[in-house]
Amino acid sequence: MALSRPSRAMMVGLLALSAMLTVAPLRADAETLLRTRLNADIRSTDPGTNRDANTDGVMAHIVEGLVAFRDDTSIGPMLADSWTVSDDGKTYTFHLRQGVKFHNGAGMTADDVIWSLKRWLDPATQWRCLSEFSATGIAQIQKIEAPDAQTVAITLDRPTALFLSTLARPDCGQTAVIHRDSVGPDGKWIAPVGTGPFKLGEWKRGQYVDLVRFDGYAPRSEPRTGYTGAKIAQVDRIRFNIVPDGSAAKAGLLSGSLDAISNLAIPDVEDLKTRSGVQLSITPALGLTGILFQTRDPLLKDVRIRRAIALSLDTPQIIEAVMEGIARANNSALPIGSPFYGEVEAQGYTQNIAEAKKLLAQAGYHGQPIKMVANKRYSYVFDSAVLVQAMAQAAGINIEIEVLDWAAQLDRYNRGDYQSMAFVYSPRLDPSLSFEMLMGPKAAQPRKVWDDPEAQRMLQQSMMIDDKAKRQLLFDELHRRFIDDVPMIVLFNGAEIAALRNNVKGFAGWLFGQPRFWGVSLQ
Amino acid sequence: MLGYLARRLAMTIPTLLLVAVAVFTLVRLIPGDPVQVMLGDNADPAQAAQLRTQLGLDQPVPLQFLYWLGKVATGDLGHSITNNLPVLPLILERFQVSATIVLVAVGLAACIAVVAGLIAAWKQNSALDLAIVGGATLLLSIPSFWLGLLLLLLFGLKLKWLPVIGYVPFSENVWQATLFMVLPIVTLTAVEIGVLTRMARAASIEVLRLEYVTHARAKGVPEWLVLGRHVLPNAFAPTWTLIGLVLGHLLGGIAVIETVFTLPGLGRLLVDSIFARDYPVVQGCLLFTAVIYVVVNLIVDLCYPLFDPRVAVA
Repeated sequence: MALSRPSRAMMVGLLALSAMLTVAPLRADAETLLRTRLNADIRSTDPGTNRDANTDGVMAHIVEGLVAFRDDTSIGPMLADSWTVSDDGKTYTFHLRQGVKFHNGAGMTADDVIWSLKRWLDPATQWRCLSEFSATGIAQIQKIEAPDAQTVAITLDRPTALFLSTLARPDCGQTAVIHRDSVGPDGKWIAPVGTGPFKLGEWKRGQYVDLVRFDGYAPRSEPRTGYTGAKIAQVDRIRFNIVPDGSAAKAGLLSGSLDAISNLAIPDVEDLKTRSGVQLSITPALGLTGILFQTRDPLLKDVRIRRAIALSLDTPQIIEAVMEGIARANNSALPIGSPFYGEVEAQGYTQNIAEAKKLLAQAGYHGQPIKMVANKRYSYVFDSAVLVQAMAQAAGINIEIEVLDWAAQLDRYNRGDYQSMAFVYSPRLDPSLSFEMLMGPKAAQPRKVWDDPEAQRMLQQSMMIDDKAKRQLLFDELHRRFIDDVPMIVLFNGAEIAALRNNVKGFAGWLFGQPRFWGVSLQ
Repeated sequence: MLGYLARRLAMTIPTLLLVAVAVFTLVRLIPGDPVQVMLGDNADPAQAAQLRTQLGLDQPVPLQFLYWLGKVATGDLGHSITNNLPVLPLILERFQVSATIVLVAVGLAACIAVVAGLIAAWKQNSALDLAIVGGATLLLSIPSFWLGLLLLLLFGLKLKWLPVIGYVPFSENVWQATLFMVLPIVTLTAVEIGVLTRMARAASIEVLRLEYVTHARAKGVPEWLVLGRHVLPNAFAPTWTLIGLVLGHLLGGIAVIETVFTLPGLGRLLVDSIFARDYPVVQGCLLFTAVIYVVVNLIVDLCYPLFDPRVAVA
């Protein structure tokens, strides 16, 4: 029987109404799932051991340490409520936060902190940062005690300004306090039982990592900052999809298959800016891109040639072209976002072709080729190398680019086997470490770029003292020497770019670059 | 038959041994150190040395080879340097994904290409032939990643008919798994149609010129019967050989397609492992690929008499 028009309309209306009635309560109970992207799978679920940047980023949602980095890279309390340092600078007494629970429901006590620290310090754990607490590291831990259930005292063999920042390092797994259920009776790793706002759900290798909201989480009272402050999970589940291809990830975001993608490539920024339904988050980052010189090379051991290359460059123009206006030029080893980055650090090289040519003539340079190793894994590094080559050519400097894959380049970097190299350093959250990654005796550590014993002594000093003003003076002097000696030309610190669908609220990038999904909701 | 099979299988042993030596040597000739890749740019030299010892990378290379070969002989391909997982289960898990796509895509491509090639040959030099040859050449020239991205943008992004990101195994949800597989299969099918069509056409043209076809036509055998019974089986034999080669090649990895469609297949595992210098996984993948190649071609050879009785398996 054919339905009349009013009957059809009524039927449609009834169907729509019944659908709404059915769907509405379902929506209220529906699980909120935030889908994001990793460009490669995580290495393991054991923080600070078998890890890489992706592993650190995911694990930061699951585990926490006594202290953590704030947005401005200063150190703030996390599982510790507060701490005191003895007059001799060797004993740190941490007062633990009350009411913190592990993912298995157990309350966190000083006993758990001691167990975790001892596990990290056991060579069998293969903790990445164990060497920092060896005789050649920042200090050795002599004693770990628990005066009461909520207090932990750690005694070092010597004072160091880097103790707290080393504990908080993301690549050290934030020296996480984990429950002993994380390992089996044989001490083998099972899965992290941490105190973070999310707990590990399912890890499908090569496909995704699921994190599930931890309902028993006890957040701090301060606002979210860095890896500390209030870490309130506002979605039920986060799925980190493994999507290696950037174009596929972008298509996933635009089609709605993904809610957020980080590590966005620079060329995608302009395109995504114009897309409706998508918002961008661009934050200055701490990573450092620059041109390294082998100061032992017969040609480049002459500082005049290195300086001539530096003077041939219009760094702001390179940044403008490579980073499309989302990063600033910086010739300092300290990142622009560092609290120690001041007027002195802002002083760098200014393009001066005439002076460059004069220096080259004085050095007796006649166009001998200078090989520059680069890679295409990081497009901005390769693009920078090409522009440096072109600009240096204007001053009569003959640079030849040799493109390698990342592993091969890393091998050459570690052996110091290059004339020059376009390179990117991962973020260092402490200013002393920003210099330390570049400085050291080349005979013992060929990967080090800057071998200056006097500067090395100043760096050691900066690692020992805690006074900010005194440290600032040391970093200012180190910067001046660094610019004079030109062991490398720092170009810029880059930016962390994330793209999010418009319904994603509360996301904020930060200097360290790894995305944080606590405090992020879907609307 | 069994004797032939045994002989063929016995012949694979020196082949695989040579592959093992070549793979092991070549992988170590690539510059780059897995330990440095794992530890990154701020690797502590003492820690790197410790890790190198733990992974057995501090041993002389010939010793490492003998140790690895001994394990391989017992079916143990070792453990991944990156995530410490046993290599063989890892490969088998990833192979399921690649094999599903490749078998369906090559099957579809073969069905379409053989018919298209036969028609093109039958109507040689006509507009239809030109269209088929032109289409095949076009498909042959299109890079698979480009076609894949194009399909992804069209069906995933514009029309929103198919999912863009992710993978669901058939064991979990058949319908969802099918949806995720459509685009990679279509991409691979399109690319393979090109090469198979050209081969099928060339083989069919050759057969169509033979005397027994003229004889059949002179007897008044209907044209569809001439094509279906006399031309197709004989023209299919060379195409079947090519299918074997294509299958063997693709089963070893369709890394580009797997990367574009974010599928956890064997090709992506191999590429990721090369970048990470994960020697055991790279060696395992390449050795496994060689075995697959040998097995597929053996199956192809064994099937040959079905299409051409003149070829005896003896």
